[in-house]
Amino acid sequence: MAENIGSNPFVDVSVYLFFEDISDKQGVEGFTNYMVGQAESLAKSVPEEEYKTWDDFVNAVTNGESVLSSFEHIGQISEYGFVTKVCPFSKAIREYIKRIGNFNPVHMEATDHYNHTIQPSAAHSACMMHQTYRKEVAKRIRIGGKPLQYAQIAAKAYTGKIALPPESWKKVLLEKAGISETQGFMEMRENSCLYLLYVED
Amino acid sequence: MMDIAIYSLVDDMVSKAGTEGVVEYWLRVGESYAERMGKEAYVGWPAFNVAMKDGRTSLTVEGDVNVQTDLAITDKDGDVIGYVYALKVCPMAPTMGRYISRIGPIPDSDTDVADSYNNRIKDSAVSNYCITHQKFREVAANNITVAKQALECLQLANKGMTGEVKMVPENLARINVDERHIKSILRNASCVFALIVKGKSAGEEIID
Repeated sequence: MAENIGSNPFVDVSVYLFFEDISDKQGVEGFTNYMVGQAESLAKSVPEEEYKTWDDFVNAVTNGESVLSSFEHIGQISEYGFVTKVCPFSKAIREYIKRIGNFNPVHMEATDHYNHTIQPSAAHSACMMHQTYRKEVAKRIRIGGKPLQYAQIAAKAYTGKIALPPESWKKVLLEKAGISETQGFMEMRENSCLYLLYVED
Repeated sequence: MMDIAIYSLVDDMVSKAGTEGVVEYWLRVGESYAERMGKEAYVGWPAFNVAMKDGRTSLTVEGDVNVQTDLAITDKDGDVIGYVYALKVCPMAPTMGRYISRIGPIPDSDTDVADSYNNRIKDSAVSNYCITHQKFREVAANNITVAKQALECLQLANKGMTGEVKMVPENLARINVDERHIKSILRNASCVFALIVKGKSAGEEIID
């Protein structure tokens, strides 16, 4: 498994405040742009990976050996369906609430901005960073010579709210994952994030 | 994962706002973090030091602190005006370790931002995160009273990932503690600071 994925929450909380300070100066758009931009930069810094077969990749990602699982424990629920049980941001969010109080509303405003301008898949501002990171890191992984593809299906916020794609997308994504909508909801009871990882045929 | 964002965020910010801009952001973050933690009051130094050991103060949310009770700071009348404290592990240490093992070397922007702060404001940062951390302590200390007297935090020394040490001689002089003593504490700690009654010093005069 990915070793030592914990951090000092003092640092996590200060990064949230850093983004809030950016929003004070550059608005919600600046907040969103910085969060997405830095996730892209981070992903571009990680080493590239190549796997011979899909099974090799699945073993690496579920054992925490892939860059995709550097910051989270990833589980496989179907051939192309994957879940993250515990959101890697949940500890930081809990610590923010414990130490400071209610989350600054700018986080939800930025989330809405992302959902309307980039893609409707974020349940919290941290999802913007996380999903961008996954998307960009996937481009650095090749399986049998083909690039890994990533698509978000569902994300659950600390409030329990689940972000889902529009009906037309959802149907296609669930079909690709090989799970029904009911199974998808069952997975979201146990996990914080449900997504597709696959290679084009 | 949020913490890992620091390095790419700072890298991005340096290209857009320059190192000075990032220093300003970090200073504001440290200030607002401490302000939002609220105020605390303790009846005396023993009560405060127990709270520090138990991790109940805003100054100990960052990690375990050794209270150097053998290093009581006294004024010219022999009254205790404060103590020296040692933070065992820098809060950035786990993040640095994971960044290096999973992603690669720490970006140069980390040192560039720290240098900008050291050259323009105070020569006390061994990484860019020290800027917000030290500002946090400074403001948080002002929000704590011991025996109805507000505190002041004096940064004394810290140690970087590669072992480089930053000392703040003017603060050591103010509490009349020998640099060699602080270095010995730093062998088993990452950061050493003093908390004293605001405006007091070990010498004769009151500092404005």
